[in-house]
Amino acid sequence: MPLGVEIPLKEVKRYMGYHGIADISSDTEERIRKAVDQVSSQSHPRIVSKEYPVTVSDDEIVIHAGNEELVLHSTALARNLKDCCGAVLLAATIGPACDMLVRRAGVTSAADASIYQAAGAAAIESFLDDYNDRLKAEYEAQGLFLRPRFSPGYGDLDLGHQKDWFRLLDISKQIGIELTDSLLMVPTKSVTAIIGVGISENRTACTGCAGCNRHATCEFSKGSNET
Amino acid sequence: MSLRERLGKEWLFCDGGTGSILQKMGLKGGELPETWNLTRPDDIKALNKGYFEAGSNIVNTNTFGANRFKFDNVSEIVSAAVRICQQARKEAGREDDAYVAIDIGPTGKLLEPMGDLPFNEAVDIFAEMIKAGYEAGGDLVLIETMSDSYEAKAAVVAAKETCNLPVIVTMVYDESGKLLTGGGVEGTVAMLEGLKVDAIGINCGFGPAQMLPIAKRLVECSSLPIVVNPNAGLPRTENGETVYDVDPEEFAEIMEQIARLGVHVMGGCCGTTPGHIKAMKDRVKNVPFVTPDAKNTTYVTSFADCVKIGPRPVIIGERINPTGKKKLQQALRDNNTDYILTEALKQEEAGAHILDVNVGLPEIDEPSMMEDVILKIQSVTNLPLQIDTTNIEALERGMRIYNGKPMINSVNGKIENIEAVMPLVAKYGGVLVGLPLDESGIPETSDGRIAIAKRIYEAADKYNIPRKDIVIDGLAMTISSDPNSAIATLDTVRRVRDEFSGHSILGVSNISFGLPARELVNSHFLTMAMQNGLSCAIINPCNGPMMASFRSFNALMNLDPNLEEYISAYKDYVAGTAASTGSSKASSASSSAVLTLGEAIERGVTGRAAEAMKEALDSGRESLEIIDAELIPALDRVGKGYEAGTVFLPQLLMSADAAKAAFAVVKEAMSDKPRNIKGRVILATVKGDIHDIGKNIVKVMLENYGYDVIDLGKDVPPEVIVDCAIENNIRVVGLSALMTTTVASMEETIKLLREKKPDTLVVVGGAVMTPEYSEKIGADAYAKDAMATVRYCDSVFEA
Repeated sequence: MPLGVEIPLKEVKRYMGYHGIADISSDTEERIRKAVDQVSSQSHPRIVSKEYPVTVSDDEIVIHAGNEELVLHSTALARNLKDCCGAVLLAATIGPACDMLVRRAGVTSAADASIYQAAGAAAIESFLDDYNDRLKAEYEAQGLFLRPRFSPGYGDLDLGHQKDWFRLLDISKQIGIELTDSLLMVPTKSVTAIIGVGISENRTACTGCAGCNRHATCEFSKGSNET
Repeated sequence: MSLRERLGKEWLFCDGGTGSILQKMGLKGGELPETWNLTRPDDIKALNKGYFEAGSNIVNTNTFGANRFKFDNVSEIVSAAVRICQQARKEAGREDDAYVAIDIGPTGKLLEPMGDLPFNEAVDIFAEMIKAGYEAGGDLVLIETMSDSYEAKAAVVAAKETCNLPVIVTMVYDESGKLLTGGGVEGTVAMLEGLKVDAIGINCGFGPAQMLPIAKRLVECSSLPIVVNPNAGLPRTENGETVYDVDPEEFAEIMEQIARLGVHVMGGCCGTTPGHIKAMKDRVKNVPFVTPDAKNTTYVTSFADCVKIGPRPVIIGERINPTGKKKLQQALRDNNTDYILTEALKQEEAGAHILDVNVGLPEIDEPSMMEDVILKIQSVTNLPLQIDTTNIEALERGMRIYNGKPMINSVNGKIENIEAVMPLVAKYGGVLVGLPLDESGIPETSDGRIAIAKRIYEAADKYNIPRKDIVIDGLAMTISSDPNSAIATLDTVRRVRDEFSGHSILGVSNISFGLPARELVNSHFLTMAMQNGLSCAIINPCNGPMMASFRSFNALMNLDPNLEEYISAYKDYVAGTAASTGSSKASSASSSAVLTLGEAIERGVTGRAAEAMKEALDSGRESLEIIDAELIPALDRVGKGYEAGTVFLPQLLMSADAAKAAFAVVKEAMSDKPRNIKGRVILATVKGDIHDIGKNIVKVMLENYGYDVIDLGKDVPPEVIVDCAIENNIRVVGLSALMTTTVASMEETIKLLREKKPDTLVVVGGAVMTPEYSEKIGADAYAKDAMATVRYCDSVFEA
């Protein structure tokens, strides 16, 4: 099954390191477009998600997962989930094909490898954005509002919680992502995240680039119009 | 009666779900179910007993995840589980007709090269579990819920090396019949049949209704008994808990339909209960039982690809074989796997279906090289491989770590050779090339060759290797020394087809050795051989006339539906250009044909850069002069622009690619002259980190600026880096880490270098690195990008 959503070329270029310039040769444009087509058609996106009731305090989130209570310590996430009664935990991947394309290009062309890399990053993001939009509409129909996605490793949420996501969602078996000893995911174009569900909108929860702990040194935010 | 005697002869039933029942008994989320073997044995016994009483013949021990990643007392946990299950069987009064299955689930780790678990470590992990279960008296090994055929292979190898119990393997496929790692039903079945398991099947993933079409495919391609263990429908979440909706009656109804397809063992998985099993058994036991029948299709597979041998000829790429290839020999000596991988990708692009891999050179460690090259090739291509070696250790190590069912080149008619090679094929599985020659040499006539072929088939029978997995080599030898040789070879190929209904193979180009215009004879000989029934042609797929012969043959013999391949390859064909490769790729665009070398590099036009370099060399200029006057200044202009922020990374990379292509032309032209290098540098992504794009970019840049780079790859342990630095007396080591979590292993590597080889300079980089961080972990320099690394190396080596 191909990706099913469009990969925005603008995002691919941003991941490649083009900062808000329009001067890209038509040959390069063509190369990027071809790579994006390949990533799109060879991807096999899968997603697994579950909604749990949550209790949120200033620096602690408790996820009530059936017979288990998972406690997360993070002020950044607590701020994001403020006033939420539930949260969707999810994991998604575009599958192993993009990693293979990157490795293959790595043998012959560093430029192509970086293009595939960027296309894959943009692909998983747009796949998730699309899922997120549909989820948002579903919840809003019930009078509920979603918070922005937040992932283990963001802000002060320990990357070690990857293991909790993997256990609760049975990610390896359900969608085929595995965790390495150093907590990286394979296929690499994969994401784990939590999305808060609240009865009101929390506008302060969306901090965008400014809320990121790498904001000061980030190469990618320069020149982008992301808020 | 033993289980082996009953499998495939009568209906047998597995058990159902475990997790959902244990959760009802109070298993907490995050609690490992296997701990209950020690803490709550009575509950586990009740679980097992419920299934024995419901009529299951095969009941799993509670050992699914009892591996050393989760437990440090694996043996205690597993043997307790076996004893509990035995006791449950006794109490249920089923000791006569039911079996205790040592249940083996996935490790939860991905194997190398995609992940970080080495294949042989996976084998050890499974062997530890299986050994404990076997010693405690388990009756069979049931490997289940595998979504990666490679991991399943590791578990089967572990079982075979630990005990002689029957082995059953069930995999998790998705609705399209694919594993999560990309393999399909037919390829997985071929691999597992080659590994000689006792039964194969599908479990988990979804309910019986969704499993039906996949069960059908299994019946169509498997010669072994088939096991079907679905969930009780598709899972859904209710208040944070997973629930399944298909009740026993509905489950039994669909299972009866699956039974009628001709499967042999049935049970359940997540969400099913003893009630499901009992209801199913009551309906299925009256369905007529169909014994499995042997299928006659031959497959060579990789983890994701499955190549069928016959009736359409198969192209095996011959380029990865050092015989007579100086550059490949040098690449093997230098451990330059990039060269080998480039050859692999080129052949794939040219249309090869399988790649021959031969790394035999007298001065290298062939077994290690074979292992290494197979892993690396399988990380960049889906094409199945043909392991080509006369070194038995290299053959075994290659077959062991190979992901799929490989082709093996080769065995011959000598008793000693048969006794060395065939046991390996019997153990690991593979499609075996048989050379019809023996102690008295190569028979001149097809009569002599066919006689030896017959002996090879008979030997295969003895080793329980199916005849369909033997491919006889017609032995092409040059017509320049024996005018009858083509006739004898073609006769042999034809008789293999007609007298054995067998498959054949030829190293086609041997036919013209010593002749001029070899491709003329070769391509015509290929056509003649295919007309005589040739199944596999070992050729250079980058050779236009050979592929033209292959594609034309398929078009003429109705083996190319709608002539699709022929038309797609030759739609732009220009008559009279015999060298046309049939590749649709246009050469460098005409608009770029006028660019100078410097312009081509600056603009990143790879094809033109190589061409311009060649033109410059052809015009009689010295290579060094061209490099100094045009190539390096162009690279510098791009590099300076990048540093100033006027040129962006992609453009820098394209220029680097173009410069690399131009350098390749120079290297080719001066392959016999010593190279002028500035210095040798080690590059590695540190242990635990699997990101290597940044490191690869640095590598290309350093090479372009005249450095010899030893690329140790990614996830490299500190000891490997240190040993390599000592062995090659390296002055500069470049380390890359992309994650905060892996900076620790960067620090560890630096510490070890300081201790073991204190005169080494370490330059570090990567997304999480900062100058402060690099100082803190004791690096000599921080490089913010590839250009900065080049500048640093220049400062060291040009000082």
